[in-house]
Amino acid sequence: MMGGPGRHSGFLNQETSKPQSTSETLGRLAKHFGPFWPALLAAVVFVVISTWAQVTNPELTGELVDCYLSPAVAASGFNLPGASSAASQSASSSNCWLAADKQPTGITQTIIKNVFALGSLAAPKTDGTITTDERTAGLVRMILLIIALYVMGAILMGATFFSMTWAGQHVLRDLRTEVFEHLHRLPIGYYAEHEAGDLMSRITNDTETINQAISFALVNVASGSLLLVWIAYNMLTQNLPFALLSMAVTPIMIIVTLYFSDQARKAFRKTRTEMGSVNASLQESISAVREAQAFNRAEENIDQFNITNAANRDANVNAVVFTSALSPALEALGYVALAIVVGAGGLALLNGANLFGTAVSLGLIITFLAYVQRFNQPIQQISVLWGNIQSAIAGAERIFGILDEKPAIVDDPNAKEMTAINGKVEFKNVTAEYKEGEPVLKGVNFTAQPGQTIALVGPTGAGKTTIINLIPRFYDVTAGSILIDGTDVRDVTAESLRKQIGVVLQDTFLFSATVMENIRFGQPGASDEEVIAAAQLAHADTFIERLPEKYQTVLGERGSGLSQGQRQLLSIARAALADPRILILDEATSSVDTRTERLIQKALEKLLKGRTSFVVAHRLSTIRNADMILVINDGEIIERGRHNELLEEKGFYYNLYMSQFKKQEEIEAIIAM
Amino acid sequence: MTQQRNVIGRAAGYLFHYRWQAVLPYIFLLIATLSQLAVPRLVRSIIDAVTKGVIATTVLDALNKIPAAFMSVALPKILTFLNYPATMTSDQLVAQLNADKVSAPDDLVRAGLFIVGFAALRGLFAFLQAFWAEKNSQSVAYDLRNDLYAKIQRLSFSYHDQNQTGQLMIRATDDVEKVRLFLGQGLLQLIGALVLLTATLIILFTTNAQLALATIWIIPVALILFMLFGTISQPLFNRVQQRLSALNTILQENLAGIKVVKAFTREKSEEVKFNVAADNLMDQQIVIARLFTFLMPLVFLIANLGQATTLYVGGKEIILGTLTLGEWQEFSMYLIFIFFPVAQLGFIITQFGQAAASATRIFEILDAKSDVTDKAGAIELPQVEGNINFEDVSFRYVGGGAPVLDKVSFEAKPGQTIALLGATGSGKTSIINLLPRFYDPTDGRITIDGHDLRDVKLESLRAQIGIVLQETTLFSGSIRDNIAFGKPEATDDEIFAAAKAAAAHDFITSFPEGYETPVGERGTTLSGGQKQRVAIARALLLNPRILILDDSTSSVDLGTEAVIQSALDKLMKGRTSFVIAQRISTVMNADQIIVLDKGKVAAIGKHAELLEENEIYAEIYSSQLLDDKQHA
Repeated sequence: MMGGPGRHSGFLNQETSKPQSTSETLGRLAKHFGPFWPALLAAVVFVVISTWAQVTNPELTGELVDCYLSPAVAASGFNLPGASSAASQSASSSNCWLAADKQPTGITQTIIKNVFALGSLAAPKTDGTITTDERTAGLVRMILLIIALYVMGAILMGATFFSMTWAGQHVLRDLRTEVFEHLHRLPIGYYAEHEAGDLMSRITNDTETINQAISFALVNVASGSLLLVWIAYNMLTQNLPFALLSMAVTPIMIIVTLYFSDQARKAFRKTRTEMGSVNASLQESISAVREAQAFNRAEENIDQFNITNAANRDANVNAVVFTSALSPALEALGYVALAIVVGAGGLALLNGANLFGTAVSLGLIITFLAYVQRFNQPIQQISVLWGNIQSAIAGAERIFGILDEKPAIVDDPNAKEMTAINGKVEFKNVTAEYKEGEPVLKGVNFTAQPGQTIALVGPTGAGKTTIINLIPRFYDVTAGSILIDGTDVRDVTAESLRKQIGVVLQDTFLFSATVMENIRFGQPGASDEEVIAAAQLAHADTFIERLPEKYQTVLGERGSGLSQGQRQLLSIARAALADPRILILDEATSSVDTRTERLIQKALEKLLKGRTSFVVAHRLSTIRNADMILVINDGEIIERGRHNELLEEKGFYYNLYMSQFKKQEEIEAIIAM
Repeated sequence: MTQQRNVIGRAAGYLFHYRWQAVLPYIFLLIATLSQLAVPRLVRSIIDAVTKGVIATTVLDALNKIPAAFMSVALPKILTFLNYPATMTSDQLVAQLNADKVSAPDDLVRAGLFIVGFAALRGLFAFLQAFWAEKNSQSVAYDLRNDLYAKIQRLSFSYHDQNQTGQLMIRATDDVEKVRLFLGQGLLQLIGALVLLTATLIILFTTNAQLALATIWIIPVALILFMLFGTISQPLFNRVQQRLSALNTILQENLAGIKVVKAFTREKSEEVKFNVAADNLMDQQIVIARLFTFLMPLVFLIANLGQATTLYVGGKEIILGTLTLGEWQEFSMYLIFIFFPVAQLGFIITQFGQAAASATRIFEILDAKSDVTDKAGAIELPQVEGNINFEDVSFRYVGGGAPVLDKVSFEAKPGQTIALLGATGSGKTSIINLLPRFYDPTDGRITIDGHDLRDVKLESLRAQIGIVLQETTLFSGSIRDNIAFGKPEATDDEIFAAAKAAAAHDFITSFPEGYETPVGERGTTLSGGQKQRVAIARALLLNPRILILDDSTSSVDLGTEAVIQSALDKLMKGRTSFVIAQRISTVMNADQIIVLDKGKVAAIGKHAELLEENEIYAEIYSSQLLDDKQHA
């Protein structure tokens, strides 16, 4: 990581975490659905038809009552002499639009009446002469029709579910890969500021909330809303005043929903953040579990985790106050609507079947009862899923939060591919700062000729690491420029630049993969023979041959199971395989035991030959052999030259050298005795 | 299925940590359900009242038109139709009808008000139920995570060698969440659905047994279907969790090793790797979606077919006059209370399958046997002198071929410095790992002051051992917290003293925030040399009798190295120290040098002896140490 007290992230960007508006978040989420429009379109069509089937059924049930089951019809069953006119009047004043002498209103009724007429099915009679057999036959026909609609609705429902889930899962995958790719483009400094676990939480847990919302909530909310509109339309066209009465509570429902969802979203934001903290805490402590055990820290860590974990629980319980209040509130309001329908309808019926000048029948009341029940159902469903959606919005905000981070290094639009290079590296008046106004490098100038070895020496925090971070463009300079073979590194693509540079870092990072794959890391196309040759060069093949599966041995996470020295050897083999023109060694030779180190130094001598190399060195042998030593202090090159020249200067380097090796000279004296 | 029930049962057991609280939602559920069940009955009484009123009006109209002469013929027919006693006179009938007509609006209004009342009751208790259920489930998730965390913290090194961080994290987050969803919503819904189902069935059978019989066939059919789907879906859900874990592992490694990925321009190929994992996850989700594409509509279809059956049977009874419209309406409203829970059971099965798969994964960790644990009757290790004995110690890593240590024996006297010397992979690290019992020997035994390591409590053992390794991991928190890592209760003076002895005090105080400077993941990145000095201070603060360290001074400049080395020398004085030796001075000053070769002790002795007597040492000395010296 960065040397020195650089406690801030990349040069170019500061974290921007502006709160996003919900509509903006939803809009961006919707944009991700764009490529899957055929599936969405199919889902919409299916939803429309299946919703139609769902709404038509209560209408058919009402019709069943009006045409065949209502007491008025029943009353016509007993032929009272002279009473027939009263009975027939009662029946025809009902809403039995299937009757031959009635006109259907609306598309649905027309379709059904035509279907009903198919197969020479007799229309119900409303003249009071209908027989029990005719009523039974009518009943059977209606029920068959209802079943047919149910089957159709069920098939379409399945189709809707599948196409939505299919699209949803694809969106989810795209979001995940997009965030993952974006993470690779963020500046190294971003990772010093953000916990890995929290970032992970965004890709796994936060996308999971979107998954929940997509796979169930979205379909149900969509079909539910459609159902609402449809039912409302049906009710309004059938009997305007009655419909308005039935829907009297709807505005209250809307207000309640809006209020609760606003509160819930705020609460959910907190839950997502807390979940991120839990994940971060897990990540950090699981990957450092060995240290915790070595220092008997388990108890203390557990106590600390309990606090983070409790904060997550409390945030969730807090959010739940709102989500669990919404549904019951709406349900209760739904029952109130039910009471209004039967109450007002019943009273109107008793008062001469008249409601504000419109006709009311028992069948109509039963139809409306079914409507209101079906009206409440989607509202409740939506309200329950609303919770999921609010949670998903909060999750999406965090995901877009990462995507909005500006990548540190953006290739210039005209950036060229860097072609094969000789390896001349020039620093021209380079200034770099992590934090504005606090330069880590101040006007650094030097030129490394092709094939030269440059040793960087200086106290901790002087700026050595910064210099080697600038060459592969892990960061960009604040002022000045870095040229390779005369080309500014900012004028070529970062990828082609880094391909020319081999890096051996302080901490060797190995992946849980085979030894072979770990060496091949930088050159995925390398053959097995090339990998083995690189391992031999790095003197790693001896220990690899002793592993149980040799090159196919799967390493544990971070190379656990290997010793420090072995890990270092693999890291060197990795760089050797990449065969770069420019090589950067960050004190890589330090953690290998003396015998191995000697072998490595020989290997490195081979490796360094003919390559321009930058070594953050503390081994004397490296420094002695260097073509140029740059002594860096406080962001500036204070001395430069070869080992002997610098010693003669008796300056900073001389003092550094003396303080370090005085002790070793004493030991030499003891040995000599 | 039985295994599924077992893990879920075990997870549900966590609910009972909360005793009466765990029961609350179920009580509220009962009240809420009963209030809900009252509504159809009230609707029926309204409709019946209306029907009665309408019929009364119609019949009264008709009666007026019937000539008096026909009355005697018509009256019995009318009385039969209206279900009134045949003995009624026409005047009594008229009076009764008028009474029906008048009482209808009152009955209606009363029932309407009752509906509103029950609605309020239902709303209140439904809220309380949902809230407490969620609160309890969050508490269970909290407990599960704590248990997982504690277990993971205590599992031995060999467990962690084999399990990736990313994968363990998914179990502690996503899997816990899946179990929580079931325990919070699913289980309650299950109980709620069963209560509603039973209560409704009782009501239906007492109101109209014949009609009820026509309907209940759907229940066994649906249950068999659900069982089937539940059994099929569980392994599918398990695979989803596995693939999510694989994805998370790639993610975790990429974040932890971001610099290497960038340095080797491996972004593209890592992205390909991640894409494959994301695709795999998606494919598995779609496999599950396919299954539920069948299940969901089937559930609704079955429920709807049940409704159609009632419509037919009930309609026929109405036509035959054995059922009133109000009764029928009530019945079909109750039917919703049959179909709704049945459909709910279908969804609960999904959650159940998912939760069972996740619970299995959680309990896999909780049940994992740590191969290094306190044995029954382990004693506290008393304050040690520091006499350490390796007796024929052999060791091999789990699943890792050849032994890394082969019959290693030696004795370290209190206060001695033992230098471990040997090639990479010769077993130095393994010796260091066995001392604090990060692993147990495969064979042989290690004693401290005569106590076998396996007979003492781990914590009391590790508390007496200080470790400074080369790879220094600092934690999120201040520098102070990191130094006090092994002794959180340390005073400021102790911490300053340790930092001064480790030559860390000066650079720490040069930071604007001093000891409170945040470091680790979220804070300032210290340089390698600074980290190492914090690590030395961390070990010094413990003032351990036994010290394990790697004397290499990695990642530091020349000046800093000298400072660190003198700090290390100070640290070793008077303690039994095991040093992975990289420096000539350490080797020369060591009381014993143990030369390791391929897991075996090649030689033990002091520098002068070994140089004369041992060929391997002489070779190492001349080829490595002397070489180093000459360079210097």
